[in-house]
Amino acid sequence: MSLKILPKRGLSDWVSRLITEYRVVGPKLMKDQYIFGDIHSADDLALDYSTTILPPKKILLPQRETLIQFDTASSSQPIEPFIETQATIILGVHTCDMHAISLLDQIFLEGFPDQHYLARRKNITLVSIECLRSCSEHSFCKSMGTLSVPETFDLHLTDLGNSYALETGSKKGSALLWSMSAVRDPTNGDYRQLQKVMSEKWQSFNYRLVFDITELPSLLALSYDNTLWDEIGDRCLGCGACTIVCPTCYCFNVIDEVDFSLHRGARSRVWDSCQLDRFATVAGGHNFRVNRSDRQRHRFFRKGKYQMEAYGLVGCVGCGRCAQSCLVHISPVEVFNELYRRQSPITSLEQEVTT
Amino acid sequence: MTSLSKPKIAFFDFAGCEGCQLTVIDALQTDIDLLNVVEIVQFREAMSEKGDDYTIAFIEGSYTRFSDKERLIAIRDQAEIVIALGACAHLSGINAIRNLQSTAEVRRYVYGDHAEHFDVSLAKPISAVIHVDAFIPGCPIDRQEFVRAVKALLQGNLPDIPDYPVCVECKLKENSCLFWYGKTCQGPITRAGCGALCPSLGTGCVGCRGLIPSPNISSFKQLMSEHGTSEAGIEAKLKLFMTHEILKSEASGDGN
Amino acid sequence: MSPLLQEILETSSIYKPTMMLVLDVRQVTQLEKLFTIEMPNGLSLGHKPGQFVEVSVLGIGEAPISISSSPSRSNGKFELCVRRAGSVTSALHSLNPGDSVGIRGPFGRGFPIDRFRGKDILFAPGGLGLAPLRSLINEVLDDRGNFGRVTILYGARNPSELLFTDELVEWETRTDVELHVTVDHPDNDWTGNVGVITTLFPKIRVHARNTIAITCGPPAMYRFVLVELLGKGLLEGNIWLSLERRMKCGVGKCGHCQMNHIYTCQDGPAFSYAEIKHVEEAL
Repeated sequence: MSLKILPKRGLSDWVSRLITEYRVVGPKLMKDQYIFGDIHSADDLALDYSTTILPPKKILLPQRETLIQFDTASSSQPIEPFIETQATIILGVHTCDMHAISLLDQIFLEGFPDQHYLARRKNITLVSIECLRSCSEHSFCKSMGTLSVPETFDLHLTDLGNSYALETGSKKGSALLWSMSAVRDPTNGDYRQLQKVMSEKWQSFNYRLVFDITELPSLLALSYDNTLWDEIGDRCLGCGACTIVCPTCYCFNVIDEVDFSLHRGARSRVWDSCQLDRFATVAGGHNFRVNRSDRQRHRFFRKGKYQMEAYGLVGCVGCGRCAQSCLVHISPVEVFNELYRRQSPITSLEQEVTT
Repeated sequence: MTSLSKPKIAFFDFAGCEGCQLTVIDALQTDIDLLNVVEIVQFREAMSEKGDDYTIAFIEGSYTRFSDKERLIAIRDQAEIVIALGACAHLSGINAIRNLQSTAEVRRYVYGDHAEHFDVSLAKPISAVIHVDAFIPGCPIDRQEFVRAVKALLQGNLPDIPDYPVCVECKLKENSCLFWYGKTCQGPITRAGCGALCPSLGTGCVGCRGLIPSPNISSFKQLMSEHGTSEAGIEAKLKLFMTHEILKSEASGDGN
Repeated sequence: MSPLLQEILETSSIYKPTMMLVLDVRQVTQLEKLFTIEMPNGLSLGHKPGQFVEVSVLGIGEAPISISSSPSRSNGKFELCVRRAGSVTSALHSLNPGDSVGIRGPFGRGFPIDRFRGKDILFAPGGLGLAPLRSLINEVLDDRGNFGRVTILYGARNPSELLFTDELVEWETRTDVELHVTVDHPDNDWTGNVGVITTLFPKIRVHARNTIAITCGPPAMYRFVLVELLGKGLLEGNIWLSLERRMKCGVGKCGHCQMNHIYTCQDGPAFSYAEIKHVEEAL
């Protein structure tokens, strides 16, 4: 891993060069909210963004993606798989979203490798950016251990004030810097500045879970029958926003569409949500999670326990997007802390008795 | 899977503004292939020919007169499949607002001295009178949803209408939530399928596609109230398109 | 790994079905049809009893269907017993011999038949639950010498909903199979047992420690059958169930079949009761 320096005045040239060879996606302002969108010039790019409405998963796992195309009237090749990729750079990915991408990578690689995801992923270069201040009132990345970038980055930026420190994590990443005259080697001053920025950033973030993240799976195991789920179910509107904006939610539905010939068409996957009514309903009509409280519990268990058990990676990266988008104030930090609070009195009571 | 002959379809109207039929006419112009796959035998809004050998009937508008019953039953007897087209047929839509007052008073208010000459019943969705196989919601209907519905019918299936709320489509579009800007929106309890058209244009959803199957109405009312809508204001919003559904859920005791 | 799955992994999409020929369609009950599917190019499905395939009618969609035929009788063909319930299964029901259907699979974990050898086997299917269990039943009967007593308790709502009636007659007449059938709602011609499946349990003798029980049926049935089996002293690890979930992708990605941390399409659909008794959402 080597460190390079890109003065900020060189950013515009760099982005212009990238655009000639890649589809470049990055944070940009839409009305007064940020989204990940196509970057056509450095002016579009808002590396200093707070958070985006949807995470960058929308590039890795498009909302609607054709899986196969078919023509049942064709006798030779009735079905063709459809895999289309385009060399893409995602610029300015926050560290929480990088952790989420690591989880997606593992899920789509494990067992039956998903060729559609993997082909696209292979063609994506991830340029992450160091988070130096809390991006939203709802984020709690420090508690979730996602405030440091995972090793999946291709290039990692740290804002040093007048310049960016560039760490390359892969050949794909270093290729982005090839023959860039504005990029220079770091001076001692740059190293000092990087060290200063990195050591100072932590105090700009708060731990917001009142317990350690490693306790979360066991806390949830004790909380399956907690009445909090009913209270949340009473509030939940079942709108599904929390899962749509979640960087680690990847559940999908599969739908067929045909043209008027009725024999030509495509099968696509579209984002789905475990918060919606029909998600766990089987052919006979039985719904395995019939109440909103069942569905919210499933969501929180998935984030805090199941993904950890299945993949060894935390299912919630603390980005805070779900809390931001929830109209009835269901926030993971508050849910987890409330469960902890409801479990704790018993423990402290027991301690009082024994001492 | 190709059907051997074109199904014969017909369009009928009851109390409504005919906007849904206009949307169908729009669809026939943007998706001209529709005319190659179905045969329209009756469509007063668009043509003068009139055939009665249809197998699929699209009905626009609400039941509002006792005399509508006979005509609805006749359509049901002829058609193999009956589809409610649009909010008035599906939910009784805005016609049902009059059900909040006494029918006699409404009749007197509208028709004055001639009130006795007019046949006026409670406004009802057509499903209150005849069996309806499927519905295409909205005021007006969504053109693409209509086209998809026709394809599904050609494939021998009933149309698959979303049963999740407008918020899903709105979030997918990365719209900024209107509640963040001091506005209100019925998206959380209203059936999707419109592509979150109104919120995408900065106007709150008015619920024209009706309630999702299990809406959390009490939590929604609380939300509206937190955002400064008075109780009367909430009622007015809910009862613009959803009067029939709300009254029904209140009567069955699961509304609040 | 099955040759078909190998081919799926080597071609470019795990979501691409292989087109196969519908060899035969037989009406089994008013709601169910039995499809015989022929594998192309001499491929064999290579399935285990309890596994399922994803069946496509292109343009309509895809549905998970358990394999009804036993590997022992496959010979380049397999059978699917399909109840008409949704749009895909309705479209399947409109197919005729000579039509094509898309197949992916076999997927999931079937029953560990190697661990069943030498034991008494008690089958307790309810309704459509006989469709997946028939695969295992015939596999056991085709290797009859390697198993102890074989008992089948089968319950259906009414006589017209009984599946595989020719085979029921065959099992009935075999001396090495004990078959009991019951219906909830008899018709005038019914002379057999009346009542839910649990009413059959008092009729049988079970050597609990040496018995493997396999049950499959509607979600509501499991709790009652489990009470009977556990009451007879069967070990939790020796009671096997096949669970139904909405397995949309079959390959552990789409999330629909998840119950707690378990993907039914990968870790199941066959589970021992010991494996799922602590899984809150399982039953």
